[in-house]
Amino acid sequence: MTQINYMNRLRLDERELASRRAFFEITDEDLARLATLRAFGERHSTAIVDALYDLILGHPESRTFFTDERAVARVKKMQQQYFIGLFGGRLDLAYVEDRLRVGAAHERIGLAPKWYIGAYSRYLRLLHDRMFAEMSPADASAAFLSIKKLVAFDMALAIDTYNAANMDTVARHQAAIRELSTPVIRVHHRVLLLPLVGTVDSHRAEQIMETLLLKVVDEQARAVIVDIAGVAVVDTQVADHLLKTTEAVRLLGAETILTGISAQIARTIVQLGVDISTMHTRARLADGIELALGIVGRVIVAKEA
Amino acid sequence: MARGSIPILRVANNLLVTVQTELHDAIAEAFQEDLLAAIEKTGAAGLLIDVTGIEIVDSYVARVLADTAKMARLMGTETVIVGIRPEVAATLVRMGYTMSGVRTALNVDEGLALLPRR
Repeated sequence: MTQINYMNRLRLDERELASRRAFFEITDEDLARLATLRAFGERHSTAIVDALYDLILGHPESRTFFTDERAVARVKKMQQQYFIGLFGGRLDLAYVEDRLRVGAAHERIGLAPKWYIGAYSRYLRLLHDRMFAEMSPADASAAFLSIKKLVAFDMALAIDTYNAANMDTVARHQAAIRELSTPVIRVHHRVLLLPLVGTVDSHRAEQIMETLLLKVVDEQARAVIVDIAGVAVVDTQVADHLLKTTEAVRLLGAETILTGISAQIARTIVQLGVDISTMHTRARLADGIELALGIVGRVIVAKEA
Repeated sequence: MARGSIPILRVANNLLVTVQTELHDAIAEAFQEDLLAAIEKTGAAGLLIDVTGIEIVDSYVARVLADTAKMARLMGTETVIVGIRPEVAATLVRMGYTMSGVRTALNVDEGLALLPRR
């Protein structure tokens, strides 16, 4: 799988970074304060990460993401690096890029945002307890607020990455479906069949028309059967698309036969007031094939016994 | 481009025209005049216009073609347009221009078959 550049995908440049920093109210004082706590972070990193994984591995569902010991050891190490990174004292594009990698890795293994957010909540509690145990209440409160801002910032990045990755996945699936959804079948010399299944929206209708017209010319087809038995909903829009396709096919010099018109569809078409009288229509595909063969000068005859 | 730039062939009792250039406004008009003059002169029974060579058909060109067919019919000549490209057909339909009433065929052979043989 190709690595997607989420920095570009999320338009994370200096301007966007500044905008996010402003909205999460992360000031230079916050970062400086966190930098002074680096020793604190390093001292507690092992214990905090262990406690975090107690939560993750203690839940029957989140546990399933980490099956073997070695994987757990590896992610714990990465988690420690992540944790110490919170006390780096810098918030630049390199920091963001590092955070995005984490989000993308989680999306790849299918770890949903609820697990992050729950884990972050545990993170904050663990930090809270240790900060208030070691520092004066005023220092602990200030440190905790600073870390909370940065954690919120990171959470937003993780969720944005997750979303973008998800949208990419959906887009890939849609492309695959589109490719599969316009099978133009040659049923006889110069007779084509297009069985339509599912939902016909404007985008798909365009695709159908383009594919079909190219095929008509390629095969020098005289008759095109469009079977709509599998179309979920036939409304005015779908009927209009079918009419347009028929007109375009006619311009090329071929005829369109619409089949698979159920009683329900016939009722809908008439009630909607769509005029499809210019199209050849048949209830069953078999009748459509017979009509199409007639157009190319063939007839189906029974074999003599 | 001037009149007479698109050759009009006479085959039996039909006229055969192959358009191999984009029909922009000036040519389209001259083209229509040429065709009608040829019909008047020959009294041809059929007119076949092959547009395989045209990659861009705007609403103006589509109207000129459709009008020419209507005018030819008034003069007793049947018109068939052949070789409309898929992308051209899609564009025309999208513009809502379906050239209704104009006969079409996939290629010259089939177009000729549609024309009267007398």
